[in-house]
Parts: sequence; C-alpha cells; structure tokens
Amino acid sequence: MNINNFLSDIDLIYPEIILVSTLIVILLYDLIFTKNKRLLPFFSLSGIFIATLFTILNFGKNEFAFGYGSNNYLLSIDDFSNFFKLIILISSFIIIHFSILSNEIKICIDRHGEYYTLLFGMMAGMFFLVSANDLIVIYVSIEILSLSSYVLAGFVKTSLRNSEASLKYVIYGGVSSGIMIFGMSLIYGMTGSTNLAEINSILKVTALSDITFLTSILMVLAGIGFKISIVPFHFWTPDVYEGAPIPITAYLSVASKAAGFAVLIRFIKIMFLSGITNNEYWVLFPIIDWRSLLVIFSIITMTLGNLSALWQDNLKRMLAYSSIAHAGYILLGLAVLSNQGLTAVLIYFIIYLFMNLGAFLVLMLIANEINSEDIDDYKGLGYSLPFLSAMLSIFLISLVGLPPTAGFIAKLYLFIALVDAKMIVVAVIALLNTVLSLYYYIRVLKNLYLSKPNERYIKIKNTSLSYPLVFILGTPVFVFGLYFTPITDLAKYSLKILGI
Amino acid sequence: MYESTLINLSLFILLLPLLGFVVTLLLGKKVKSVFIFENLIIILTFFSSVYLLYSKLANFRTTKISSELEWFGFNNFITGTKLSINLGFMIDNITAIMLFVVALISMLVHLYSIEYMKGDERYNRYFAYLGIFTFSMNGIVLTNNILMMYIFWELVGLSSYLLIGFWFEKKTAADAGKKAFIVNRIGDIGMFAGILILFLTYQTFSFDKIFSSISSGVLPFNSDFWLTVTGILLFCGAIGKSAQFPLHVWLPDAMEGPTPVSALIHAATMVAAGVYLVVRIFGLLTADAMLFIGVIGMISAFIPATIALTQNDIKKVLAYSTVSQLGYMIMALGVGAYQFAFFHLVTHAFFKAALFLGSGSVIHAMHHEQDIRKMGGLRNKMPLTYWTFVISSLAISGIPLTSGFLSKDGIIASSMAFANLTGHYLFPIFSLVVALLTAFYMFRLIILTFHGEPRDIHKFEHAHESPFLMVMPLVLLAGLSIFIWYTPNPLNSEQGWILSKWIEKPTVFTPERSRFDFMKSSSDEENNIKQSYLDAEVYKEAMHSAHYPAMILSELMAILGILFAFIVYQWKKINADSIADKIKPLYNFSLNKWYFDEIYNKTFVAFTIGLSKVLAWFDAKIIDGMVNGSAFLTKHFSFFIGNFDKYVIDGIVNFTAYFNGFIGLLVRRIQTGKVQSYLALVIFSLVILLFIFK
Repeated sequence: MNINNFLSDIDLIYPEIILVSTLIVILLYDLIFTKNKRLLPFFSLSGIFIATLFTILNFGKNEFAFGYGSNNYLLSIDDFSNFFKLIILISSFIIIHFSILSNEIKICIDRHGEYYTLLFGMMAGMFFLVSANDLIVIYVSIEILSLSSYVLAGFVKTSLRNSEASLKYVIYGGVSSGIMIFGMSLIYGMTGSTNLAEINSILKVTALSDITFLTSILMVLAGIGFKISIVPFHFWTPDVYEGAPIPITAYLSVASKAAGFAVLIRFIKIMFLSGITNNEYWVLFPIIDWRSLLVIFSIITMTLGNLSALWQDNLKRMLAYSSIAHAGYILLGLAVLSNQGLTAVLIYFIIYLFMNLGAFLVLMLIANEINSEDIDDYKGLGYSLPFLSAMLSIFLISLVGLPPTAGFIAKLYLFIALVDAKMIVVAVIALLNTVLSLYYYIRVLKNLYLSKPNERYIKIKNTSLSYPLVFILGTPVFVFGLYFTPITDLAKYSLKILGI
Repeated sequence: MYESTLINLSLFILLLPLLGFVVTLLLGKKVKSVFIFENLIIILTFFSSVYLLYSKLANFRTTKISSELEWFGFNNFITGTKLSINLGFMIDNITAIMLFVVALISMLVHLYSIEYMKGDERYNRYFAYLGIFTFSMNGIVLTNNILMMYIFWELVGLSSYLLIGFWFEKKTAADAGKKAFIVNRIGDIGMFAGILILFLTYQTFSFDKIFSSISSGVLPFNSDFWLTVTGILLFCGAIGKSAQFPLHVWLPDAMEGPTPVSALIHAATMVAAGVYLVVRIFGLLTADAMLFIGVIGMISAFIPATIALTQNDIKKVLAYSTVSQLGYMIMALGVGAYQFAFFHLVTHAFFKAALFLGSGSVIHAMHHEQDIRKMGGLRNKMPLTYWTFVISSLAISGIPLTSGFLSKDGIIASSMAFANLTGHYLFPIFSLVVALLTAFYMFRLIILTFHGEPRDIHKFEHAHESPFLMVMPLVLLAGLSIFIWYTPNPLNSEQGWILSKWIEKPTVFTPERSRFDFMKSSSDEENNIKQSYLDAEVYKEAMHSAHYPAMILSELMAILGILFAFIVYQWKKINADSIADKIKPLYNFSLNKWYFDEIYNKTFVAFTIGLSKVLAWFDAKIIDGMVNGSAFLTKHFSFFIGNFDKYVIDGIVNFTAYFNGFIGLLVRRIQTGKVQSYLALVIFSLVILLFIFK
C-alpha cells in the first residue's frame, strides 16, 4: 500500500502529532527524573493546550489525509471529527485536574508517569478513531484506546475493586474487539475493500443484502456498541465504572463514549448512505431497517439504564447506569437519520460533557472526604457542604433535563428532532424515561437536603483547585441553559462529514 | 461618539445594579459595610445615565438607536425557515429620560435609606433588594421587545414582593407583599395573553417589527377587533403594575414596606412601569382600546382621590394620591396626550418621591408614628422637610411655577381638546374634579401634619429635623419640581425643550378605519411626509382653544381645594367632624375605601378559596389516586425489572456464586465466571438481533 502525498498530509494531523509527542516527553521525563513527579500534570496540560490550538486551526479545512490507491483515504479531517476532538480535549483537560485532586490517584504518586502516558495513549487512540475513514484504522485506534483504558481502570493496584474492574474490562473488551474484527473481515471478504467510502460505492452497484453481510454489520456494531455501552453490550459498564478510579470512570463515560459515537455515526453514514430525501432525511441502503434497529437499541438502552439506576445505592454505580441511559438518548438522535438529529446529538454531547463530568467531580470531592459513595451517607450534606451540594443538585437536575439548566436544552433539541421526524411514539417513550430518571436523581437531592444529617459533621478541606473547577463546570450548565445559541451554532457548523 | 458606545453604556447601566445585588447579597452576612459598595454602584449608575442622557440628546436627538442579538433560534429543517428569539435594546429619548429618572430616584432612595434603615438587622439585604429592583426597572426601560419587557416585568414583581414584605416578621407586611404579588399576577395574565397573540401573529416580539407589520396591514386574526383586544390585554399588565382600577387594591397595602421603598415603588420604578408599557405600545392602540384605557384611567383618578380625603395615615393618603395621579397619566394616554402623559410621569416621579421621602422623614422623627391625627405643629421643628413638602404639594396640586402645573395642565387641556373633538365630555369634568380633590387632600395632609398645635406632645418633643443624608434628597427633588428645568415659560409647557424637542411625538400604526377621526393622517399631505397627529391642524386648533379655559378652570379648582382645606383644618371655620356626621354614609364609604377589599374578599377571594377546596378534594382523591396507582404499578414493575436484572440475569450469571451463597461480596465480585456469562449474553443477543432483522 503506497501512501500518496504522505508529507503534505502530515500538516493535517498536527494535533495527533502533538499528543503523541507529549506522550513521549512524559515517558522520557518519567524515566529521567524518577523523584519529582509534580511537573507531569503541567506537561500534560500544555500538551493538551497546544493540541487544542491546532485542532481549532483545523476547523474549516475539511480534507482527506493519507490517500492510497485510486481514491481511498485513511483519515478524514473534517469539522465533524474536529468537533469530537474538541470534546475529547476539553474532557481530558478537566480529567487531568480531576486526577490532581483525586485521593485514589494521589496514593500512587510513583506511577504518575505511567498514568499520564496512558491517558495520552487513550487520547491519541480517540483522535484517530474520530477521523478514521477505514475499517483497519477504526480497529487499530479502538485497540489503542482500549488497551490504555484497561490499564487505567485497574490503575490503583492495591485496590481490589480496581483490579477486578480492569480484568473484567480486559476480557470483555478483548472478546468485543474479536467480534468486531471478525465482522470487519467478513465485510472485507465480501466487498474487497476496507475503506468506508469505497465500500459505499461498491454497495451502490451490487446489492449485498444477504444474511452474511447483515451478520458482519451487527458484529461491527457490537464492537462499537461495547465502547458506547448500549444494551445488550453494556454489561461491563456498571462493574467497571464502579471499580475504576473516579477520574477514569468520568473519562470513560464522556470522552471514550464520544469517540465511540463519532465512529458509529461515521460508519453508518459513510458506508450506507445512498441519498438524501427532499426534506433532508438520509436514505440508507436497505440491508437492514436502520431506523428500527437504532430505535430498538436506544429505547432498550435508556429504559434498562433508568430502571436499573432506580435501585442503586451507590452514587457512582447509579451514575454508571445513568450514563447508559444517556447513551440511549443520544443514540435516539442518530436514529432520526437526518442532519437535524445529528445536530441534536452534537448539542447533547457538549452539554453532557459538562454536566456528567460535573456530577462525577462533586462525587469525587465528597468521596475524598467521607470515603463513601453511598447515597445514604449523603444525608444532610446540604447543610455541612452547602456549595458542593448545591452544585451537585444543579448537575443532577441538568442530567434529568429540567429547565433552566443546559440539560433541558439538550433534551429539547433531541425531542424537536424526533417530533419533526414524526417519531411521536418514540418521543413519548423517551419522555417517560426522563420522568423515570427524575426519581433516582431527586433521591440524592432528598438525601442532601431533606433527610436528617448524620452525626458527624463533615468539613471539606478547601483545596485551591477544587472549588474553581466545580464552578467552571457548573457555569456552562447554567449559562447554556439560558443562552444556547453558541453551542447550537457550533453544532450546526460541525455537521460536515467528508466521504460521500 | 458612536451609537455602539451608547449601547455599551446602556448595557453597563443595566448590569451595574445586578452586580451590586449579587455582591451585596453574597457578602451581606459576612461584610458589614458592603452596603457602601451598593451605594457606590448606584451612584456610578446614576452618573452613567446622566452621561447617556446627555450624549443621546446632544448627538442623537432625532435618531432611535437599537441593537439586537439572537438569544436562540430554531431552524425548521423541513421548510428552511428560522424562528429567532432576540434580545435587544432600544434607546430613544424617552428611554434615556426614563433611565435618568430611575437612576436618580434610586440613588436618592439608596442614600436616604442609609440613615432611615440604620440598625435594621437585614440592613445589607435591604440594599441588595434595592439593587435588583433598579436592575429590573432598567431592563423594562431599555428593552426593544415585549418578551424581555415581560421578563423584567416579572422581575419587578419579584423585587417588589421582596421589598414590600421586607419586614416579614410583621404579618401585615408579609400579607401586603403577597397581595401585591398576586394582584399583579392577575394583570400579568392578560399581558401574557396579549404577548402570545402578538407572537402568534407576527412571529416576533420586537416592537418595531410588530408596528411595521401592523402598518402594512397585518392584524391579529385579520380583524380590527382583535387588535383592540390585544391592546387591552397588554394594558391589563399596566392595570396591575400601575395599580389602576380595579386592581388598585394592592398599592395602599404596599405601604407596609419601608418608606423609602414606597418612594421608589411609587415614584420611579414599579408603578411607572405600567405607564411606560402603555407609552411603548401606544402605536398599536385602536380608538376603542384608547377609550377603554382612558375610562380606566379616569375611574382610577377619581375613586382613590375620594378615598384619600378621609384617610388618616400619612402614607395611605400619599398612596391613594399615587393611584390617582397614575390614573391621570393613563387617562392622558387614552385621550391621545402621549407627550403629556410621559411628561407627567417624569414630574410626578420627582415630586412624589419628595413627598414620600418627606413623609418618611416625618415618620422617622415621630418614631414610626404614621397617624396624622397624632401629629401637628411640626413646621418649626422640621423646616426643611416642611418646605420641600409644601413645594411638592403645590406641584401635585398643579399650582403655576411648579412642574406639576405644566404636565397636569397639559393633561387637562388635552382631555378638553379630546372632548371637543370626539364628544367625550366626562374626561375633562372628572379631571377637574380630581384636581379639586387633590389640592384639598394634599393640603389637609400638610395642615394636619405640620400646622397647628401638636396633638401628641410626647412624640412632638422628641421630633427633630432629619440628618443630612435624608434631607438632601428632599431638597434636590423639591428643586426638580420647579418649572425652570422643563420650560422657560412657566405658563406654557409647549415652549419648553422637554416637550418640543426631547419627547418624541407618537406615531400611530393602526389601520385608519380604527382610529379616532383626529388621528387619521390628513389626506391632503403635499410633501408626503408622515406627520404625527399632534401636528395636525385639527388637533392643534383644538388644543389651542382648550388651552386657556383648561388652565383657568384647573387653577380655580386647585385654589378652591387649597382654600377649602385651609378653611376646614387651619382656620376651623367649618367643623370637619360635623360635615362627616352629616354625610355619614358617604364618609364611611370613603373611609373604608369604597369597600373594595371587602367586596373582593366576599366575591373573588371567597370564590377562589371555594374553588381551590373543590380542586384540592379532586386532587387528593382522584388525581392522587391515579398517580399513586400508577406509581404503585411503576414501582412494582421496575422492582420486577430490577429484580429480574438482579436475580435472573445476574442469577444465571452467578448461579455458582449464589449457590455457594455464603461467600462474601468480594469473592463474588472477582469471579471471572461472571464475565464469561456476560459475553455469552452478548453473543446470545447478537443472534436474537440477527433473527429479528433477518
């Protein structure tokens, strides 16, 4: 395979190059200065900062990179991928602050070099994943992402539940990617290509609607579904989320989910789009009833996520189930199969980033103090920790989707898209699910404010970083609830997907 | 000087008090002296608004500056159209003048309160509330669309609730705050419905866009009738906020708030908002709507004036006089005297603030005694308060050389001109009667409070002139009640700059067929320049012929009123009590405020309570029954699902673990068998999916 214009295409992947260089710098630093680990977060933050600059510069370019053969490309650097890179960068930026604050991570100070290296490994994997335009690239970047996250989930070796989570994750992830590569090889066997766009053009001329092709697609979907934890590929999620250190849980629930969604959308749209109707809806190759498939996935996902969350007593596990439910909502936006639905998905991700990370952050700060994630231990905290409790309430209310928080806007655009697509029944089911979710989120609020406080009085040590960070995450949740034109504009701007 | 500078400046003026509110509220408990910050903020706001007024009048006197930004918008992907909801500012001369008035009164009230509220336990919070009150009022003044106006309108409602019920330990104060809030809400429902009709018809909230659509012939539901209805519905908001009949009942009760708050509410902020709203929507009022507004204004001018005659609480008298004066303004708008209405709003703001702050000074000196029957003789003890009070009373009675004369005389003349043009003679008659009553009750108040012998010697002896910070605003405001600030000729306000140059003449956008005759645009326009009806020959002539009769009559009325007050209360030629005895039923009728509260309590309140009891029963028995039933079902269903997940799925998975049973949680968790079963489930569901979608 010869890569055409290799050197000129390097210009397009500066963000990826920066991330990998930072990874190497951190690795070397860790090897050379074995004693002083305190500078590591600053290296990471500056690496992220520079990568962000280059990502922003890439906006609007919309070019393919690394072409081979006649007209096949490995990566597509389009606004859609840049949008997701931005989401990943922002969440990584916040996660590094999480890690600085986290007690769990602090204990393993001597292995910090390893920690940040792996974080950057994940980031690099996700970056390639969101612009991948080729099945091989998709597979390899999912593996890069997964291998780093397996280790990170079990980062605290002394903690049994960490190791358990990691082990489960490894086995589950291994099998999932096995299924996926099986599916991919079947696709390659039938079409003779691994390039998404080329497969699309092949599908245009030859009808491949037999059961083998269907099986292969479902197998690939199972692999991606594992990343975004949709039911029935979600079983690992609660266990791993509960077991992993909180920063990693938060990271998995936002960044890696975003990357998974990006590749799912690209996979479906680039490979199977055959045309666009007059009123802007996508027409996909009728290999499968795409809309029903996605709707079934999403409804099962959100319903099961919400119903299971109802019975959780551990806030972290509850948030794990809630993030499954949110994946269901987001998938619903894709199920609309139009640019309008896609806009809703992108808007949802921006808002989900802030509210979910915010909830995890407060959870971590409280867990740092009271060493518990049990909802019953939150009784009366509203009085001893007024600021954190108030912010937690805001994040949870936003996760429910009540105005005036940003969560409402996210759901609003989603439901508008559904109603415009005449998917009324589905919208009603999603709405009922929202009502259901109210119960378990509000239960936390009830414990915070209405229940009798526990005997002990908890006072949080005011580290210089924690309050501002909570505030930084809380502000968008409020501001975007009232003034959301910037994010909707950004989402509409980022709809451009190269390839068809 | 650019237009954008003015916009930025106005944004600054809007947000400053908000900053003051937030900082003062957050730090109020910890930092005792944070009220100084709030005061500095408001002083800065005032000077910015002076600068804004100056630069608007100096550089952009004839231009209307506006600026908009999209708040949010919804693309309709199917039709390709876009529905945007905008936020925006509009600055014309009226805005600039109004901002100045609000900022001035608010600043004086702030400074005054430093002394007046001294020692209150929620001192800082009080100033924070003043801050948000100013912020919301500025928002109403600056907006260019009715949605934003509604938002700030409700914010004014909220802040008035907070301030009126500031001493919420007192039940009457808490009740008064609640009453103000609820009564206002009734008016707001009408306004909200009006806004909805406008938005449904024009898909925009912007005043300018609505007006231009109306003048191009787009009407709500394509009928003049609905345009009238919309105007009246919007006016309902003003009925509530400006305490017009029949929703005026909240205002006298609102006197339970601290006196400086009354000054702020009654002079520049809350009640002025209603008049300001009508000024803003003037262009869409049809003849019928105007007549409705005029009649409401007339009734609201008359009834409270009769009530004020017999009240004994110094603040209640002033409260009723506020309602009455607002009635004047509203009536003026109804009869088309747009400029005079706004002019009266400005002059009234100054002298009414002076009166309220003056009464506060008296109350302060008399150790929170408000009953004028226990006062008297305070003239020598409090000379500054007395003289400023007299000047302001002369202004409110409309005696020449005062600002009140200029605006009030204009209103009476306009109502007379209107009567000549259309035949509605009740307007001038009632406004003259009200002028008589106003002069009488104001001087009754002065005489009983300041003249004669002290009736409560103990309190009188402790009375003293108020400190500098309280007297300074009085002097300043009384000074602003002199004619010289508005016109060089004390008898003719039309020659003054404020009317001829500053206040823009109104443009009417309603269809020709639904206007008053005199407002129709003249068909023989030669230069095709649209002129305001105020400049039309017919109207000018009518005004001209009404000018002198109106002036003479209204002066006669005012002087008669003052004279009568002196005869009865100063020289005691006629015994007030014996008159009261002779017309006992009428006296009681007035003393009991026409029994409005009683009637409302017996009818609306009783009906509402009855209805809510029925609803509560319905709610408790039927709705809750259904909810509980479904909650019961949901709970058990989800319990079932949860258990299914927990026991059946996990149970299959962990069959061994459960079978062994007594092995602890930890051991169960690290069982790898679980993951294998998870994976088995994944494969299983893949197969199922394959069968479904085959």
